[in-house]
Amino acid sequence: MELQDTYYNKSEYVETASGNKVSRQTVLCGSQNIILHGKVIVQSDAIIRGDLANVKTGRFCIISKGSVIRPPFKKFSKGVAFFPLQMGDHVFVGENTVVNAAVVGSYVYIGKNVVIGRRCVLKDCCMIEDNSVLPAETVVPSFARYSGSPARLITTLPEAMPDLMSEFTKSYYQHFLPTTVN
Amino acid sequence: MAYLTQPDYVKYICSCGQLKPITSLYFCRHCLKIRCGFCICHEVDSHYCANCLENMPSSEARLKKNRCSSCFDCPSCFHTLSTRATLAQPRQAAQDAAAGGDTKVENKQPKKMYYLSCFNCRWTSRDVGIPDQPVASGGWPERTNPFTTRMNQLLDYYKAIAQQEKQEKLERERKKFAIRGKYITLTDKTGLTGAMARNIAGLPSSDGGSSSAIANFVASQASEDVDELPEDIYTKEVNLKQITSMAQRLASPEWQPATVSRLHPLAKLLSVKRSQRCRACDHNLTKPEYNPGSIKFKIELLAYYHVPEVKVISFETIKPGEKSALLIKLTNPTGHEMQVRLLQPEDLPQPEEREEPKSIEKSLEKSLNLEKEPLPETVPDKPSGVRVPASSRVCPPSMTLSLPQRDDAAEYDDDAHHDTDDVILWRKSNKIALRLEVVTESTVASGVPANALLALEYSYRNTVPPPPTAGGTLAGTTPAPRDHTLYTTVLLDLGVVSG
Amino acid sequence: MAHNNIKILPGATVCEDCTLEGDITIGGGTVIHPRVTIIAEGGPIIIAEYCIIEEYSTIIHKKSDKQENPPKPLFIGAHNVFEVGCRLEAPCGHIGESNVFECRSFVGVDIKIGSGCVIGAACHLTAPQTLIDNTVIWGSEHHIREALEKQPSQLLQLDFLSKVMPNYHRLRKPNVHKRQPSRQSQDSSPKP
Repeated sequence: MELQDTYYNKSEYVETASGNKVSRQTVLCGSQNIILHGKVIVQSDAIIRGDLANVKTGRFCIISKGSVIRPPFKKFSKGVAFFPLQMGDHVFVGENTVVNAAVVGSYVYIGKNVVIGRRCVLKDCCMIEDNSVLPAETVVPSFARYSGSPARLITTLPEAMPDLMSEFTKSYYQHFLPTTVN
Repeated sequence: MAYLTQPDYVKYICSCGQLKPITSLYFCRHCLKIRCGFCICHEVDSHYCANCLENMPSSEARLKKNRCSSCFDCPSCFHTLSTRATLAQPRQAAQDAAAGGDTKVENKQPKKMYYLSCFNCRWTSRDVGIPDQPVASGGWPERTNPFTTRMNQLLDYYKAIAQQEKQEKLERERKKFAIRGKYITLTDKTGLTGAMARNIAGLPSSDGGSSSAIANFVASQASEDVDELPEDIYTKEVNLKQITSMAQRLASPEWQPATVSRLHPLAKLLSVKRSQRCRACDHNLTKPEYNPGSIKFKIELLAYYHVPEVKVISFETIKPGEKSALLIKLTNPTGHEMQVRLLQPEDLPQPEEREEPKSIEKSLEKSLNLEKEPLPETVPDKPSGVRVPASSRVCPPSMTLSLPQRDDAAEYDDDAHHDTDDVILWRKSNKIALRLEVVTESTVASGVPANALLALEYSYRNTVPPPPTAGGTLAGTTPAPRDHTLYTTVLLDLGVVSG
Repeated sequence: MAHNNIKILPGATVCEDCTLEGDITIGGGTVIHPRVTIIAEGGPIIIAEYCIIEEYSTIIHKKSDKQENPPKPLFIGAHNVFEVGCRLEAPCGHIGESNVFECRSFVGVDIKIGSGCVIGAACHLTAPQTLIDNTVIWGSEHHIREALEKQPSQLLQLDFLSKVMPNYHRLRKPNVHKRQPSRQSQDSSPKP
């Protein structure tokens, strides 16, 4: 079915010139290191850890309630380094999901209650189902649909996935409306 | 998948009778027919490793048993292993230091050593005593199959038999000019040799082989003598942490380790990129780009890009004997204006001819997908005689709807044109929303799934130049795009009939 | 709500944006990320040195009927890592050293945890049990295996975090001074 309109309290959200809609109830640490490329929705209680390293998202990303976007660290022989976290366009991150990935491509759907382990690489056009756990350093190839704990490839995605995802995120953005005061 | 996470409310009827959501359908521009995964040929385009995204030519892939040479899976939990580095003092250093030689200076530098580690279950290659490697990738000890000689013997034997059969067949064909059947036999394409077929059928094998490989071959003999079970088999306490699971054993069939200490890394299996081909006309339907990281396609004839998409916006609960409203959205995905008419499924004209049976032979050459399993969701006949048990009927409006072509720039116009029409709810770019009525018969029991069939007649502009005919088209003239009127039928899932 | 008695030892990095209730002691070198909830309703919670407690983790010392009086503290050993969204509900007990509680894991009551254990992501431990040292639990089927060695320490990460976090976060200041361990028990200066 078509997406239904989701209403939000206008006073809760900040809308930027580029169309980002960010809830005031989020924790954006090191906001100078966070780049949202426009028309991105960040919902309440989401945490983006820009203090650890840069976080960049593309256009039309949806960061749902209670999710944590956290750049991953890697140990080296001399000290640790937090890697910047890059996210492509048209990415959906479900509720209460933890993303520790190094790279999330474009047209990626991540369900709710998912754990994406450290330094995972999610290629363009992939899907992680609800409640899955992706162990650290997993590479999810394009057009793969992963599920389970630890997540495994269960099936492939249709070739039209880029169009499906861009339609989904665009219509989500269009249906994400402020409550109209009459 | 048309709704990403929701169930498929709308299913199209493929030309083969399968019910599929539009996202898993293809559209052959040459036959102008909808095709699905069951009625097309799947071909392997390229092999690649899903972890390191390295391409491998198919000949090399076969040689390496379709496994990556540098990536490994954890033998304990099957997650991909990661290479980790440690600093290790070279073993010699200690001895040399005791000797007090001048080698001390150069050996002081700790050496980087690598081992494999699993981030999921924390298994490491050190757990089973695999020595650390001085290079980051590759160089891991390869274990040889304990049955290599026997495997090679068997391979040689079957190769020799295949060779011999080929020879015999050639001779036979030369002798009598027999016309072979229209259908390619199973044995031709599966590599199942005649000898094996005879063996399975319990027939005596054809006259003895001439090749030495066949003559010298000794068949395996089952033996009655097996080792006694150890005395303490029933009394010894079992430590489950030391014993492998069935999945772990079967992951390496050559060794089938019984204890955890004998688990070895498993080379990662390769993935493939596939292209799809129409069985009837042999044209490609999809062809991905060669690069494993790319999501682009050279050819991408998906129904999603050529067939008008029907989406359910919402519907009223279906009640027996009542009318209910149904809101649907039609989308024209093509770059040309499209005329769409909604019809009753029985109003569809009979398809001109059935698919030529010769296509079966061709398709067999391409794929080993011999028999289509009759799936529960199959429509038994061609769309003409569709008899899907539908609980309700959609009352289609008798007008022809005109859908403008897709326009990516139109996205930025936010306003939908709301029509005052009874049927058309709104129009927006290449989309149109309709309010339809669904009539349900009073005889329908409550609790059964509610669904309705809807047929579509749509105009389709084919921009593919026609194949050169005997008369021949004049070179240099661009053939005009041809317009076609095509039909498709969709099944709408409308929840359950409520009492 | 009961009185809050939060003791932060020098060298600890504790974000202000977290919920700390009851009698809690946080050891030196420990890093507590924002949005952490630590509730000591059933008795004191003592967190030793060099632990990492990440966002949305919850540590609760639950009230229980069979509690001794005075209540036994929940002692969490050194070098433990509580990853994002994990939950630990121990009424009283002892958590050893160098354990990793991975993202969204859950450890219920009556579970004793040794040292060097890994509770895998999204694993739920609810039945009373004792985890011996170096136990690794993973996956939806809660497979158990024994690791060869303890989990590596996170000292390097702690080093980085304690350097970087003060630049971005409002922190709670250490309120207990070293070299005066005797004062710790009497020190009851409540922190808002």
